[in-house]
Amino acid sequence: MIIIVLNLLEVAIWSGIAAVGFGILFNIPRKAIFTVFILGLGAGFIKFTLLNFHIDIVLSSLIAALSVGVLSMPLAHRIHQPPVVFSIPAVIPMIPGYFAYETVLSIMNFTFMETDSIKRIELMDAIFSNGFTMLFILISLTIGVSFPMLLLRKSTVKKMLD
Amino acid sequence: MNSQDKLERTTYLLLEIASMLMVSGANTNRANLSVTRFASVLQCKAYSMISHKTLIMTVTDDLTNQTFTKVQNIPPYIINFHIISAISKASWNAISQNWTVEQIEEEIVKINSLKRYPKFLVLVAVSFAGAGFCNIFGGDYLNMLVAFVSTFIGLFVVQEAHKREYNVYIRIFLGSLIASSLASVGIIQNIGENPHTALATSILFLVPGVALINSFTDLFDNNVLNGMVRFTTGLMTVLAIAFGLFAAMLIFQLN
Repeated sequence: MIIIVLNLLEVAIWSGIAAVGFGILFNIPRKAIFTVFILGLGAGFIKFTLLNFHIDIVLSSLIAALSVGVLSMPLAHRIHQPPVVFSIPAVIPMIPGYFAYETVLSIMNFTFMETDSIKRIELMDAIFSNGFTMLFILISLTIGVSFPMLLLRKSTVKKMLD
Repeated sequence: MNSQDKLERTTYLLLEIASMLMVSGANTNRANLSVTRFASVLQCKAYSMISHKTLIMTVTDDLTNQTFTKVQNIPPYIINFHIISAISKASWNAISQNWTVEQIEEEIVKINSLKRYPKFLVLVAVSFAGAGFCNIFGGDYLNMLVAFVSTFIGLFVVQEAHKREYNVYIRIFLGSLIASSLASVGIIQNIGENPHTALATSILFLVPGVALINSFTDLFDNNVLNGMVRFTTGLMTVLAIAFGLFAAMLIFQLN
């Protein structure tokens, strides 16, 4: 049990580091770096904990991204930054790079290498399952990050008083 | 200064703000909101058409009802969240302290001169991000080292190509080719427990995350044209990355 938690924490910390790395690439303000780290770490922890309970990767990515989107609203008010500044770098570690890689690999094998027809059908299966998983994770990340912003923007006190 | 001159000056300023926001990676709605906010401080109304490469804006003076229209091109996109955050802060200050055109112009000049992080720091930070990715996808510490080195050199190539003003997709293709070639060496030499994870993660620093996320926010906001443009640029970037990876895998005969 403790080993599982420690493993989760290790992965979560590396998610936080990856989020900060991308934040620096996007030139986030210095004040936001710590927030990005915490959000990236939290998102990684939520995602891998859910994966640990055998919840589908698309759903766990969506839940993790939603929590980033929701949390970034109050944080934005507290340190006076627009929420995009830390919500986007925080979800970048959840980008489905490995599925993209597997998809490209299968496409390449299918097109250039494999001649056996049974294996070609297996490759087609790999292309579709990996490719669509990648697409759905991407969509759930963007929905997770942007949905709270789109939802709350219409109902802030400021807007209602206008 | 007569009112027409003032209106002209306001329009130039608002166009500059919208253009800076678009270049820095804000979504269309944010650019629109900021312009409206600044215009309200200057007793004007701004009506703008924001596309990916061009801005068209008409500003109407609330008192005199005079209008001024200008079209402006948007320079190449360089993501910079510091500018987005600084402009957002400036807009709130402008409202609460009722700034004049001169004050806003001064602030925008100040924001434009904000320094980016030094190149070397960016290289190291993004390489750590690459190593972090490798850990997330199940690589051990040797794989992470491979991912770190290939990301570092890949990003360095991208930065150098940027300095020489190469086409953006050529830049990404080169970065992806170099990074994945280095990681392929790791597979051939069988470095670490899971060398394929290093190859998969060595190219992730090129992923167009901001373009894709902004494309969906724009689509949700019904800025369909801008959303589709951003999605297409994101897709083109992914294709360029995939071609680089393809080339490296063909060279190294991996399958």
